[in-house]
Amino acid sequence: MLLSRYLTFGKFMLARESRPLMRFVVIIMLALSTLSPAQSVAQDADTGIGYEDILQGLSDPSRWLTFSGDYSGQRHSPLDQITPENVHRLVPQWTFQTGTTTRGRGFETTPLVLDGVLYVTGSNNYAWAIDARTGRPFWQYRRDLPDDLTYGASAPVNRGFGMLGNRLFMVTLDAHLIALDRTTGNVLWDIELADYHIGYSSTMAPLVIDGMVIAGISGGEYPTRGFVDAYDPETGDRIWRFNTIPGPGEPGSETWPSDGDNLARGGGTTWMTGSYDPDLDLLYWGTGNPNPDYYDEEREGANLYTNSLVAIDASTGTLRWYFQFTPHDINDWDSNHVPVLADMMFEGEMRSVVMVANRNGFFYVLDRVTGEFLLGKPFTDTTWAREIGPDGRPIILNDGSLGCLPEPWGGTNFMPPSFNPALGLMFITARESCATYVPQEPDFTLGRNTSGGVIWIDRDQGYGALRAVDVRTGELKWEFLYPSPTMAGVMTTVSGLVFAGDHQGNFMAFEASTGENLWHYQTGSRIWGAAPMTHMLDGRQYVLIPSGTTLVAFALPEDRP
Amino acid sequence: MVRSTLTRLFLILYAFAPLSASAQGGNPYDGDRTAIRAGRALYGARCAQCHGGDAKGISGPDLTLLWAAGTSDDRVFRTIQTGVSGSIMPSSAAPEKEIWALVAYVKSISTVPEFDNDRGDAVLGREIFSSTCTQCHSVNGVGGRLGPDLSRIAAIRSRDMLIRSIRDPSASVAVGYRAVTLVTRDGERIRGVTKSEDVFSIQIVDTNERLQGYVKADLQELIHEDRSLMRQFDPGRLSDAQLDDLLQYLSTLRG
Repeated sequence: MLLSRYLTFGKFMLARESRPLMRFVVIIMLALSTLSPAQSVAQDADTGIGYEDILQGLSDPSRWLTFSGDYSGQRHSPLDQITPENVHRLVPQWTFQTGTTTRGRGFETTPLVLDGVLYVTGSNNYAWAIDARTGRPFWQYRRDLPDDLTYGASAPVNRGFGMLGNRLFMVTLDAHLIALDRTTGNVLWDIELADYHIGYSSTMAPLVIDGMVIAGISGGEYPTRGFVDAYDPETGDRIWRFNTIPGPGEPGSETWPSDGDNLARGGGTTWMTGSYDPDLDLLYWGTGNPNPDYYDEEREGANLYTNSLVAIDASTGTLRWYFQFTPHDINDWDSNHVPVLADMMFEGEMRSVVMVANRNGFFYVLDRVTGEFLLGKPFTDTTWAREIGPDGRPIILNDGSLGCLPEPWGGTNFMPPSFNPALGLMFITARESCATYVPQEPDFTLGRNTSGGVIWIDRDQGYGALRAVDVRTGELKWEFLYPSPTMAGVMTTVSGLVFAGDHQGNFMAFEASTGENLWHYQTGSRIWGAAPMTHMLDGRQYVLIPSGTTLVAFALPEDRP
Repeated sequence: MVRSTLTRLFLILYAFAPLSASAQGGNPYDGDRTAIRAGRALYGARCAQCHGGDAKGISGPDLTLLWAAGTSDDRVFRTIQTGVSGSIMPSSAAPEKEIWALVAYVKSISTVPEFDNDRGDAVLGREIFSSTCTQCHSVNGVGGRLGPDLSRIAAIRSRDMLIRSIRDPSASVAVGYRAVTLVTRDGERIRGVTKSEDVFSIQIVDTNERLQGYVKADLQELIHEDRSLMRQFDPGRLSDAQLDDLLQYLSTLRG
């Protein structure tokens, strides 16, 4: 009885203790207390991962512990069992079906994997723990959602878990942040991010850093005000909130009309998982469109910090620097992208950079310490702007009066790109489209869509491409054309492969230097928003892609029945 | 020709008891004797296997406690229609009339919970729980994960069921908590509870609360134990007085 109480207390302490030294002490005490003659030989108790594990990124090949694989956002795996020479033999190993469909969007998640178990979120706030060997479930979670969702009803998606210890963190369509027990799927705590009745929702994969869970918000087509929040992983208490739209009199408010109530509903939502530099302690986060999206009569000014990359001091939640890609946006070109961090030679100097393939069709390289603008080159046919000026601002060419513009879904969108540092190439899912914008004054009612316009898209003129861009020059190295604009993310591996998908359901592998298509598989549904992930299990490399209502795992064939 | 009683009841239901209210506005068949009879037949055909012929619960919860625990007709309707996430309760595509009839029936047999408050000390019961039960059971996020979470146990199980679960846990084990022993090719024995299984693989939570999936071809032996992992708390282990204290504490757990 005494031993079991001790063990219970020890496990309780371990679950609550995040300091590495104290965890070590508790583990040693537990280990010593459980030394006994061989009974049922079981493996160590499952205490889960700590911040130091996430910091290791993809260096443990059996793991994928955060949305982008690591804090850099490169989505570049060091696994090399699958190569350009053998990828044509890749075959499906199992299919998991979600049992839930997604109105108007896709299955946008990135699974996490730890110790042979996948942790997956799905649409309509379903979530699962799945056996990575067989695709069979351990548990399912489903949220009892209200009937009157606002933005969440139009985009009932979710892009993944954050993980720490024995907790999984997930945001919800009614704008909550919840913590689930990793072993059982039971809810440990549940807090409100914002009031969904106004138009808020949340869909992004939370980012776990040291002692914090970072969450962003959706709802830019409604009268909302964007923010990035940090929460205590144990309790769900809020540590700080960074508002992307300044308050009256705050820095940046001069880029909005001084009268009027636009600040309270300025938009600037934060619905893609950012990246993190632990040495600088900076979070890099993209912000969305100002609201109303297309109707700009009452929001003169650049509208900071919409359509920007903000560098947030992670300890305090305050702004270190910002860069605005599309000042005074009238085309809904949210900058909700995964920022890609890299250290590389740029014009003869070693630089710490952040790279963004932006919705406005331009590829940017910025110094991630200072925000200094280094490069801005088009990766799509950007008729709306001739070029990016030396100050980083676009020089407008076509405000719409000279013919069509890229449609609101942009030259790329939130689907993750990928970076191969050895080749110096960024792989971007590019979209070419032709649209006409007709602004209309919206009805500013809380809970009503206030995009403020109608868009006509010429479908015949649209197409897509996977493009490889040289990050030092912005020049196109190669492209692979798709018949329509697509929404699939990209992953690369060190063996020189690029995995991508298209709107017709194809999941594909390409040779990274040349763009030669080496393999494809028809998944049966457009691959929308999701980017692939990969991991080792039992000595085999698996590649996974969510598509429609399925999650499929691929590997090279094994020599067994 | 109408052959079965069930079909006859359906015809009565559809002919003489039209839906008069919307699904959101409460049960249109509330108290309706004809609908309740039809609901009872439906219950027997579809629900009794998990919830018991008397609705007191087998692998599914005791349904006679629902209204006393504070539910509403609308909530029960929705639960039947959409199922319960993380459990074996499936969703239902049955017509709304049938689901309302079911709701009306279950409500008609609902009772006040049986926990009487004149026996047992909840404070002592909580101590017993902390020292004995939390190794495998959680309440409000604290405790073990091998057994079912008990945060709401008094709202979904009767006192009689709890006594049986404590005194004779193997008499009826919930799906997802059935004991299994796996023997690997190296002879390692792993004990746990089965979460899911098919012809080729099995997914368990082991006694260290670790989620583990196994391909059966990699196992030497797989032993389904027709029992619970929970030990039997007979009066030698837990006296009647201690049981009363424990039950008194458990009666406070309503989520």
